Amino acid sequence: MSRRARAIAKGIARGPALWLLPLAVFLVVFFLYPVIDVIRLSLTNSKMTSARFIYTLGSYARVFRDSGFLGTLVITFVFVGLSVLFQFLLGMAIALAVDRGERLGAGGSVVTRSVALVSWAIPGVAIGIIWNILYNESPSGVLNYLLGTIGIGPISFLSNPTIALFAISFANVWRGTAQSMILLYAGLKTVPVETLEAAEVDGANERQKIFRITIPSIRPVIMITILLNIINTFNTFDMIMSLTGGGPGRSTEVLVLKAYTTIFQLLDLGKGSAIAVLLLAVNIVMSLFYIRIYRGEEPA
Amino acid sequence: MRARSKKGAVRREKALLYALFALIVVFFLFPVVWTLSLSLKTVPELYRLPPRLFPDTFAIQNYVYIFQHYEILRSLGNSVIITFGALAGSLLISVPAAYAFSRIKFRGARRTQFGILMFQMVSPLVLVVPLYKYYNALGLLNTLSGLILIYIAVSAPFQVWFLKGYLDTIPKEMDEAATIDGCNRVQAVLRIILPVMSPGLLSSILLTAITSWSQFVVPFVLIDTTSKMPVAVKLVNLQSTLTNVTTHYLAAASIVAIFPTILLFIVLQKYIVSALTAGAIKG
Repeated sequence: MSRRARAIAKGIARGPALWLLPLAVFLVVFFLYPVIDVIRLSLTNSKMTSARFIYTLGSYARVFRDSGFLGTLVITFVFVGLSVLFQFLLGMAIALAVDRGERLGAGGSVVTRSVALVSWAIPGVAIGIIWNILYNESPSGVLNYLLGTIGIGPISFLSNPTIALFAISFANVWRGTAQSMILLYAGLKTVPVETLEAAEVDGANERQKIFRITIPSIRPVIMITILLNIINTFNTFDMIMSLTGGGPGRSTEVLVLKAYTTIFQLLDLGKGSAIAVLLLAVNIVMSLFYIRIYRGEEPA
Repeated sequence: MRARSKKGAVRREKALLYALFALIVVFFLFPVVWTLSLSLKTVPELYRLPPRLFPDTFAIQNYVYIFQHYEILRSLGNSVIITFGALAGSLLISVPAAYAFSRIKFRGARRTQFGILMFQMVSPLVLVVPLYKYYNALGLLNTLSGLILIYIAVSAPFQVWFLKGYLDTIPKEMDEAATIDGCNRVQAVLRIILPVMSPGLLSSILLTAITSWSQFVVPFVLIDTTSKMPVAVKLVNLQSTLTNVTTHYLAAASIVAIFPTILLFIVLQKYIVSALTAGAIKG
């Protein structure tokens, strides 16, 4: 090898290129190219059943003219809104309780934290099946039985369109609280003990400490937690598929499910891709927010 | 007097906390415990009113039945193969990348990292639509290797991000000392860095293993041959063929499917938590 070639080889070996190359190949082939291709498909009238197509904006027009589409958006919005709100509130309540328990030396704090995390480790499909079993509307359905013992119900959890939407949101709260709890809990651990003690000396009670010190000082963590919950809930497919399959009717068909059924059941690749592009747009906007909050936290 | 009332207040607060803890534990455990209980019941017990939490006989034969009749072992095996394949592949591409981001200074490094982070937020459904077409053309539909390739790509962004953060906590002097001793970079990574970063590796391995095991959209779209289904798809497949009368089988299959991830979680929780919180809390 000539001296020059050796120098170039050394330069490449020193730079990041070779180290990043395998990752780059995978990301280009399995992310970038599919993303570009889905955008291209959304601008065609492709069908799954035929190879012929023309370029057109008609797919987007058909999405927005679809009388059910507004409904899909509302359903998605309600599902995400309810899930994220209660995942946050419940996650925060548990994190505060466990944190307080640890400070007071209450036994069982760690066990409680672990148990509240278990749902995170369960595959979404299984969560859908488990809740489908719990919501069972026949007399042997356990939730209706339990509610019956306190004089409520029976509730048509999965056969009433409105209730079904609440039912999937509730199951999703059960699923997603784990993540928000553990993030918030980790955030609580970063609150300086001295500040809390100083407030206590100044005569602040528990509630004042939480609202005036703890919550303001973990604000970035709170925002990131909420954002991650929005993204995760928005992309939820597995749990809904096995819990309701989007039904009854289309009452629990969120945007991801709509994209799936349009492409793989109605075989309308153009329109389904247009929906997938909307999904992608929301994903990108969310991740930009995420990055912004994350960078805001970063020392410049 | 004051000290005593404070003690009383602490005791009251503890009592309140215990009540809350009990509520939390019941809320999160009940669905799983109930499913476990159903999986051990016989058909008449499924319909008995009022329903009971404890099965009369602990019908282990339900589990034997699903293994004999529904190819559960096969789908568990598929999930194991896919998960290990995804783990090996994604570490091979993400460890070098994480090393570069942590140890090599270059222009646009931070930007590239945030770009990679964005991939993590993209719904796999978006990817799987065009991939279905290519896989169809390439004959990769209904193959485990086809799935593994996608899982590698889907797992890598998190791993790069997490492992880079972990590497940043290891002093540069450690591997620099190795290079002075005549190691090249690859040797320094293999001999010095990998051993030191093993807790971080374990965390990311566990998180990737659990998410790969749980992955659903990708195999749901790309696999329709029963013998190639991972266990997550198999569950939905079973659900669509079983009826109310066979809920105990479906419950048993669900328990079998969630057992490995829950076991990992219980045994190695510490490592999983550190990976889970890495996205929000700075070390």
